[in-house]
Amino acid sequence: MLAEAHLQRITARINGVEVTRTVAARLTLVELLREDLGLTGTKVSCELQVCGVCTVLVDGSPVSSCTYLAIDADGRDVQTVEGLADGEQLHPLQTAFVESMALQCGFCTPGFLMMSKALLDRVPDPSPEQIAKHLDGNICRCTGYEPIIRAVGCAARRLRGEADHE
Amino acid sequence: MTLPDFALARPDTLEEALALLGDDQVPYCGGTELLLAMKVGLQRPETLVDVKRVPELRGVRSSHGELVIGGASTHDDLSRDALVREVLPLLAEVEAHVGNARVRVQGSIGGNLCFAEPKSDVATTLIALDASVTLQSSSGRRTLLVRDFIVGPYYADKEPGELLIDVRIPLVATRRGAYVKFQVTERPTVGVAVVQDTETGACRVVVGAVGEIPVWRDWASVADIDVEELSSAVDPVEDLTGSERYKRHLTAVFVRRALRDLERSS
Ligand SMILES: Cc1cc2nc3c(=O)[nH]c(=O)nc-3n(C[C@H](O)[C@H](O)[C@H](O)COP(=O)(O)OP(=O)(O)OC[C@H]3O[C@@H](n4cnc5c(N)ncnc54)[C@H](O)[C@@H]3O)c2cc1C
Repeated sequence: MLAEAHLQRITARINGVEVTRTVAARLTLVELLREDLGLTGTKVSCELQVCGVCTVLVDGSPVSSCTYLAIDADGRDVQTVEGLADGEQLHPLQTAFVESMALQCGFCTPGFLMMSKALLDRVPDPSPEQIAKHLDGNICRCTGYEPIIRAVGCAARRLRGEADHE
Repeated sequence: MTLPDFALARPDTLEEALALLGDDQVPYCGGTELLLAMKVGLQRPETLVDVKRVPELRGVRSSHGELVIGGASTHDDLSRDALVREVLPLLAEVEAHVGNARVRVQGSIGGNLCFAEPKSDVATTLIALDASVTLQSSSGRRTLLVRDFIVGPYYADKEPGELLIDVRIPLVATRRGAYVKFQVTERPTVGVAVVQDTETGACRVVVGAVGEIPVWRDWASVADIDVEELSSAVDPVEDLTGSERYKRHLTAVFVRRALRDLERSS
């Protein structure tokens, strides 16, 4: 049985839905997402904030949900990869990743998508160098990164309403 | 890796926070260092005292010729802060390149200094800028220079009951500076900061990350800088990122590059 100070009641908006839970202080955000809420799109790997597969957005900023206390999400807005698509309609980033073959095994993809969304929300017209720098804390062992950088550039153009070229 | 059990306090005022601290009741900010240390069993505090809501630790302002940075400011906050970008673009640039984008969003300047991780960019830069830290406990306040605060690897001169309230950097209109680093993993192998007062010509060079703590030297002018002396004065830690000899070589190369960038800076 955990003492009172170890448990707290929190309310967060997760992909637009208000969620209230009593959580242990030690519960990480990714444990809340995956184990309690069944949102298993967010992956866990290094648990050292190095690989990026657990990236979610808290109030629009990317965090490593493996090392982020669920309690710190209290009163905040959390977005996971499940919140990207609009019903059956994929987000432009998701479409661009598929078209550019920016994934193979797909394990790192949710992290790359959320990280890329954080960039495009702040910088609508990033250069390939800016994209590469922003994503340098995410690891992919399949693609060699080039297709990912192309996909993000392509999604950025579409989000700005520009026609495709290349 | 599950975190061990602990209690979490979320005080709203500085007095409350200070009253809660103790040997086993430790400050918690972004958790980018602390939670990792707890996961691997290096630390097992009873209570984490979250300092993020304490107003004194938040925000950036300029006061009496100093830039005052709240201890809980994140690397991301500082890299984008309008005042920092205007009066200390060097610091904003360094902050924009710490770790990765997630570490920058979660990690704070105060946590970075208090943890005294040897592979830091922030301490190196702050020593070059002659910054100091304000520490407060229930019994009083003290100020000390960052170069005296960082005593050893993972060891800062801080009592368990003290909080790092803010970082203060003297604002010198005639100052210019540069920072360069070499990095193959998520942390720097070597980082070199050089700051010069263009009126007197005096400059300080600080080499961080290669050894256990940053090494710094003051010279009367750029022409006086002895790169060989500096690269033999550092005490490199051999690890996966290189041997002692290699790191001494890198030090010399990066001091020269920092000086080249200094000449190009305005
Ligand atoms: C993958 C990775 C890459 C990184 N790369 C870099 C890099 O390239 N360059 C670099 O400089 N750093 C790097 N870091 C370190 C990072 O900058 C620090 O982790 C971060 O700034 C620490 O701040 P925090 O708020 O997360 O501290 P926490 O983890 O919350 O705390 C760290 C320590 O400081 C104490 N503490 C925290 N705040 C206070 C306070 N206000 N008063 C008193 N004590 C306090 C805590 O008790 C704890 O002992 C990296 C970290 C990671 C995980």
